[in-house]
Amino acid sequence: MSASKVVGAVEIGTTKVAVLLGEILEGEGLNIIGHCVASSKGVKKGEIQDLNAASDCVHAAILEAEKNSNSRIDEVYLAQTGSHLQGTFSVGTTNVSSPDNIVREIDIEQAKEDAKRRKLPVGRTYLHHIQNPFSLDGQPVDSPLMREGERLQVGYWSVHGDSNKVKNSLRVIHGIDLDVNDIIISSIASGAVLLEDAEKESGALVIDMGGGTTDYVLYRKGYIVKTGVIPIGGDHITNDLSLGLRVGRRSAEDFKVNNGRAYYESADQEEKVWLFGDLTIGDREYPLPAITKIIEARVSEVFQIIKEQLEDAELYHPAEIASGVILTGGSSQLDGIDECARRVLKLEAHLAQGPRGVAEELRHPRYSTALGLLHYALTGQDEKQRSLKSGSLLRKLTGFFNFD
Amino acid sequence: METSTDSLPPGSEFPSGIKIKILGIGGAGTNTVGRLELDELDAKGETEIAVINTDAQSLADSPIKEKLLIGRSLTRGLGAGGEVEIGRQAAELDREAIEKLIGEVDLVVLVVGLGGGTGSAAAPVIAEVASKTDALILAFATLPFNFESERRRKIAEGSIGELRQLVHGLVPIPNDVLLQEGEADEDVPMLNAFAATDRWIGRAVNCLRIMLLKAGLINLDLGSLRALLRERGGRTVFGVGVASGEDCVKEALGELAICPLLHLGDRPERFDRILINIVGGADLGISRVHQIMSQLSKRFNCREDIIFGAVVDPARNQSLEICVLGKAGVDVPESTPRPGEVESTAGSMMASESLNLESAIAQDDRPPRTVHQSKLRGKKRQVPDADQEEFLFVEADAQRGYFEKTDRNLYKGEDLDVPTFMRNGLKIKIKI
Repeated sequence: MSASKVVGAVEIGTTKVAVLLGEILEGEGLNIIGHCVASSKGVKKGEIQDLNAASDCVHAAILEAEKNSNSRIDEVYLAQTGSHLQGTFSVGTTNVSSPDNIVREIDIEQAKEDAKRRKLPVGRTYLHHIQNPFSLDGQPVDSPLMREGERLQVGYWSVHGDSNKVKNSLRVIHGIDLDVNDIIISSIASGAVLLEDAEKESGALVIDMGGGTTDYVLYRKGYIVKTGVIPIGGDHITNDLSLGLRVGRRSAEDFKVNNGRAYYESADQEEKVWLFGDLTIGDREYPLPAITKIIEARVSEVFQIIKEQLEDAELYHPAEIASGVILTGGSSQLDGIDECARRVLKLEAHLAQGPRGVAEELRHPRYSTALGLLHYALTGQDEKQRSLKSGSLLRKLTGFFNFD
Repeated sequence: METSTDSLPPGSEFPSGIKIKILGIGGAGTNTVGRLELDELDAKGETEIAVINTDAQSLADSPIKEKLLIGRSLTRGLGAGGEVEIGRQAAELDREAIEKLIGEVDLVVLVVGLGGGTGSAAAPVIAEVASKTDALILAFATLPFNFESERRRKIAEGSIGELRQLVHGLVPIPNDVLLQEGEADEDVPMLNAFAATDRWIGRAVNCLRIMLLKAGLINLDLGSLRALLRERGGRTVFGVGVASGEDCVKEALGELAICPLLHLGDRPERFDRILINIVGGADLGISRVHQIMSQLSKRFNCREDIIFGAVVDPARNQSLEICVLGKAGVDVPESTPRPGEVESTAGSMMASESLNLESAIAQDDRPPRTVHQSKLRGKKRQVPDADQEEFLFVEADAQRGYFEKTDRNLYKGEDLDVPTFMRNGLKIKIKI
């Protein structure tokens, strides 16, 4: 047993907290030995609003997962989302140093350093530097080592977040005396387990629509070229329905779950639904189009914003997103969401099937981010191309908070 | 929906001698009160209407007889051109005339459309002038559409903030919400919204008049209204449900439940005080009133007992109107009162009301926000039952509704937390 360690994958979502416990054996394989999903509190739009409330439910979920696996967590991998996360694409450039113009290790390091040297404003922290392809004298190359050329370039998709908000998430975990080994943004975690390598190669857009945020990651030619967080989720749909139908949040939530669809169709015109359906005073009938039109407006707006963000980054090329859109997250349960995505994004779209090779109960969308965290716990550090480590900066941040 | 609020039947008594002054301020306010007089009110001496504007043409076009052009030397009667500074100076220049116009009344009702120069900036000045009298001040302020310029929305927001501190009750009426009113005439949604504004303000004014001026089965008077609105600041919510026909009780309750003004994004979770007036025909017996009262008591979450009133109006057989006026968040810190402001209102209160005020403050057991959550556990509010939840929001004391305390969700100048259908001006039909 001494050679194995237990990692906890923790996602503090707006609606729920997901915890998975994985036992890593000799750095080789991973067994999922415990899991727990609990309602989240004190979190809105993916960000912690009430640290104590959030801590309480996360701690309870961690303890429950430890209890049902009869083990103790050694270290935690934590998911991060929120609109404070931003990404930038930067290119590092170096002139090949040796007189024979053959690229050596030192040149590659030089180019990478150059891409990552951009300093962030005070209060921002890098979470990921995700490597994109190299190019040698303008020609893309997978591995430039020992190739001949003069100018070596490498691109990076770098994600950074508000230091205080990241620290807040760390605080929650430190509050139960656990160390956070790494933070991985939710979209990347979900994408890692939901996509096959072939899909990553042909290009795919994973959209994880949760309770408070919609996180997406775009893969092109096997690389993560863009991630994004839109602070809109199922909570907004509920709120829109509550205001539009003039009912309480609970009734709005019921309408969403029981009668909701992500697009309006003319057949809705004749349909009516009851508020309570129990013949009590105050019960009343609503036209179904009121529900479907409100939801359609909201959900298609989210997809429209994603499309605009890809267009702004000059990454919206349907031919390069051949595997289409893969939808996950709690709000992907909404009827017709794939059709809505198809209409707005003009891409093929389907619901995530859940990763292969895990137990049926863990294939539910609610676990995809946490499974992705375990994936990185096992392989993250070694994965060459898609290196996720931001190195010392994150370490520093984590280290800093070990003191309190 | 159109059956509401005729004017009082001829021959009704005005036992109280109460005087009400309605002031339409700026272009939108002038238009609205102009239509009020034509449709809704008959002059019986108890209610006076006047209009105040910087735009001479708009005043000339108004059917209201009592007019005040402010800032003539500044704008030459050409309006404020959307400039708040001009609107403010215009009102400042004519303070004396405004004071004279308001005169000695018991209730001042300000009607203003916010976002422009005159209404947004002159209304606070006028409110301040009015606050130096003993009168109770209520303001109905319409807010710009979401698709209007950010500048207009900012101006409106600033003005709301100022007005809230100066008047006893401010009822915000967002145009976006009223866009949903009226029939499915998709081509002229904005005109619909304006017509709806006029209608809602007309309803409100008439509800108040009936309540204050007519002797009721259960009587409410100026004292009741004063008690409701005794502190300045906080938030005031108005709602009304009207129906006629055999099933009018059930239908009026249904209409009230979906009254758009009770479902604003920033509606309070809990009211401090609520006043409900029921107006029905001769068939409205006391037992029916009790039935309605018990229904409503369950629906609203109110810290104090709900104050009910009921009026029988023989002209309204088989029709029912339920009018709700609520106040919330009266413990929000108020800005420093302007000189002379506090004394004048306090002096006008009856002794018993001042006592109420003190006990209300003493009873306020709402925890301060900074307290550690775990310490609050024991005090946590009960989860409301499904009935009550109709009028509640999950989060307390919200200014931005459910997403209060979160960062603004701005994308290309729009706040994404505002429902998409509202920002897009999409009309949602919720009635069968």
